[in-house]
Amino acid sequence: MDTLLTAEIAANSPRYRRRSSTFIDGIHDVSDDQGQMAPAQLYSTMSGRLFHSGRIAIIMVGLPARGKTLGVKTRVFHLGDYRRATVPGGKVPEDYFYPNASPASQMLRQKILKKCREDIYAWLNHENGQVAIYDAVNPTAAGRRALAKEFANHDVQTLFIESYVDDPEILKENARNVKISSPDFHGMDPDEAAKQYLKRIETKIPVFETMNEEELNYVKMINAGQSFFYNNVSFNYLSHRIVFYLTNLHIKSRRTFFARAGTTTDEDSYKADAPLSEEGRHYARKMAETLLRHREQERLASIANGGPDVPLRPLTVWTSTRLRTVQTAEPLKEMGFKVRQRSQMSQINPGVCEKLSERAIRALYPEEVEKHERDPYHHRYPRAESYHDLAVRLEPIILELEREQNDLLIIAHESVLRVLYAYLMHCSTMDIPKLKFPRDEIIEIIPAAYQNEAKRIHIPGLDPKTIPSSPEDIRIPVPSPSGQATPVPAMPNLPESAAANVEEEQAAPVQHPPEKIVNTAVKDMVSDKVTDED
Amino acid sequence: MAPRMNGVGIMPEDTRICVVMVGLPARGKSYIAQKAQRYLKWLSIPAKTFNVGNYRRNDAPHPSADFFDTNNPEGERKRRAAAEAAVSDMLKWFKEEGGVVGILDATNSTKERRKWVLDKVGREGIEVLFVESKCDDEELIMANIRDVKTSSPDYVGQDPEKAAQDFRERIRHYEKVYKSINEDGDEDDLTYLKIMNVGRKVFINRIQDYLQSRIVYFLMNLHIRPRSVWLSRHGESVLNLEGRIGGDSELSHRGEEYARKLPELVRESVGDDRPLTVWTSTLKRTIATARYLPKHYNQLQWKALDELDAGVCDGMTYQEIADRYPEDFQARDEDKYNYRYRGGESYRDVVIRLEPIIMELERSEDILIISHQAVIRCIYAYFMQKSQEESPWVPVPLHTLIKLTPRAYGTEVQTYKANIKAVSTWRGKGSTAKHEDPAPDGGI
Repeated sequence: MDTLLTAEIAANSPRYRRRSSTFIDGIHDVSDDQGQMAPAQLYSTMSGRLFHSGRIAIIMVGLPARGKTLGVKTRVFHLGDYRRATVPGGKVPEDYFYPNASPASQMLRQKILKKCREDIYAWLNHENGQVAIYDAVNPTAAGRRALAKEFANHDVQTLFIESYVDDPEILKENARNVKISSPDFHGMDPDEAAKQYLKRIETKIPVFETMNEEELNYVKMINAGQSFFYNNVSFNYLSHRIVFYLTNLHIKSRRTFFARAGTTTDEDSYKADAPLSEEGRHYARKMAETLLRHREQERLASIANGGPDVPLRPLTVWTSTRLRTVQTAEPLKEMGFKVRQRSQMSQINPGVCEKLSERAIRALYPEEVEKHERDPYHHRYPRAESYHDLAVRLEPIILELEREQNDLLIIAHESVLRVLYAYLMHCSTMDIPKLKFPRDEIIEIIPAAYQNEAKRIHIPGLDPKTIPSSPEDIRIPVPSPSGQATPVPAMPNLPESAAANVEEEQAAPVQHPPEKIVNTAVKDMVSDKVTDED
Repeated sequence: MAPRMNGVGIMPEDTRICVVMVGLPARGKSYIAQKAQRYLKWLSIPAKTFNVGNYRRNDAPHPSADFFDTNNPEGERKRRAAAEAAVSDMLKWFKEEGGVVGILDATNSTKERRKWVLDKVGREGIEVLFVESKCDDEELIMANIRDVKTSSPDYVGQDPEKAAQDFRERIRHYEKVYKSINEDGDEDDLTYLKIMNVGRKVFINRIQDYLQSRIVYFLMNLHIRPRSVWLSRHGESVLNLEGRIGGDSELSHRGEEYARKLPELVRESVGDDRPLTVWTSTLKRTIATARYLPKHYNQLQWKALDELDAGVCDGMTYQEIADRYPEDFQARDEDKYNYRYRGGESYRDVVIRLEPIIMELERSEDILIISHQAVIRCIYAYFMQKSQEESPWVPVPLHTLIKLTPRAYGTEVQTYKANIKAVSTWRGKGSTAKHEDPAPDGGI
């Protein structure tokens, strides 16, 4: 398995949290299947691990309801899951969470702890894992020291991450909003759940010691990202990364829109950097109109629903440095929107595959095709970029995107949209090469508590020829989806259906209502792991 | 068709930041300031350091320690005037010269002074990021003092022992009034980065935007452990022989010879005992060049180290480019840093994609990079502070190992020739020669 450490950010700034009723403060993780990795990985190495980091256990420290928030995609071991799996029905003895539990309860705790840690070692040592996240409260200094020692004996470095909150506002909101959705309280009266939950916290507060261990590597995140303290982190690489990502958590309710670039006069050539064709310019105008109309409609709808009558958030446009994206942004630029070029957003480089048909590629590079079919995400044709390369290249863009405060329209090539979309929507890397962004849709990403949501906004009145997935992309034989749906449900299967749809539209231009997409697979998974307070 | 649209909008143009250094003398503030400035300028973010000491020296060139005594009204007045002059010049620079990151290099060791800077700069809509270097490791401080007494203009021509003593006296005056940021708990509203003992502990408070987080991240990656970075181009390639640019060709015979010689060259420069990590590009010629290096060296391939993409001109000779794209050929010579090949990259683009590499380099210890002419020029420009006009023209000969060693104020360069003949791939302005020889002086 290739390396991981991907940083990806859960949606939660303190301000956002206060408004949200379903805020997640656990770790956003993806499924554990091999080969499922997040985009924006740093890079791969010959050994398959980030060699300068070794095997690492990230250990979460903190009381429940204190916003343990970190989005490193890797394997997460929630002690709470083990507890629920070990004890039928999840019913643990009354005193299980108490520091002075009965011997029987303590034995049970030990048993559950042991099972969880054994799994971590097995995964790190035998399954080539690199970063295990051990999610439990780990409240005492002595316990943490022992844990660091135990992991060290297994040749695993430890990095503790503590989320420390002393802002009463944040504490209260967290308890009220989040924890009662935990599986432990499922089906319970909310008031009763909150009461039980707070009681659980109270029983633990006396024994909780905030991190102050000079010799341990730790990062302390204070009041949901307002400050960070960073101690003695000897394997800097990872911890630096983590801090960088944590400091970049900044999601308000701003929207991100994705749109394709228009068609060009020389669609087949990557190198030509051709300008927009007549249809392409038409598309650029239509896209701009549709987007602005949509934003205004959303604003009016919000007011109609009792929202405040405030002006729209400013919109910034990012393009690549390729002519077609720059020119697609021109109508918006003329209207006074700020347009910024990003050289990292150029489309995936097709290398030797440029202008070759699939048949030609198969004939010329049979071995490469075979490798590609085995791993379409990581494989790189000669002189080309893999999707993995592209994701690495886009990493700074992703960070800046997390920091952006305005609404953002990204006009880019399909390959770039795939990676950015997958990042924001938690798609599996294996699906990235297959995601489709027909030109007659603008995608809107809306930050939501557990998992971002996407809407597709139809652009009416386009020439059907210009709609399908891009010929600008590498024409490489991607293995056909093995019956498995991409994480974007019901993306219309253009181009087959395009012709029919469009005919209908031209007869009577229908304004399709925006369609909402939620990556439900992720949502279920995350909500299952929301709260673990062992 | 406009081949030169580079750079526009690449900078975070709305943000202006004043980085205010905080800390006692001999805590590496100027070192941090200088590193940050170099990094930002390399990324084309206008950055400038305003050193209050330099302003003060206009008025008091060689002050003795009691000048810094807070009970000395004359000294206080002059120091205050120097700080005012520095800040007002900085504000002028923001306003008139489009400055983005101004660095105020001074001790700023009291709450009052910090509040004064915050008010004065904040009023202009400029964000203030305080960066404190706090150090109680005596050894580190002594090393810094030794450095200062030999290099500070305040002590030019003085007996080094006396200078050191006077300097320690000066530090004591500062210590009397020094308050670490938020030491009293009433500066919690400030945006700041506090680095304790060169990164053993770091505290970050209220970082507001992307550019701030970039600066903070960069500063956190700095370390002062001794190390070097070695750079080498790949061995001479088949396309080099033909005078063609780009491509993904194999090594020539002589290039192969260089690959075999490289381990010896590296041993001579690095020694046997230091573990070295080798970074190559993903192209055949760098991987082939690295393949005889000792097996225990870690090797890593970076896509970001691939040669500048010449787009439609890939694989051509300069003559062919001049014939087929005469306007481009000329445009490139006029502004080589910003010229982007059709369907390819500019030097500016390469710098942007190398930024994560620089971050890794700052963080890492001994690294050998085997890459390509344009990429090595960009990395070299970072370490040597070469301007954008200059860096794309720096001659980087084949079959030469370059050793860069960062020092407190600048970088030391050493070169090791393999003495294996190779063609010259350096090209002067306007030339279409296949192999221009010899390259001018001033190269690596």
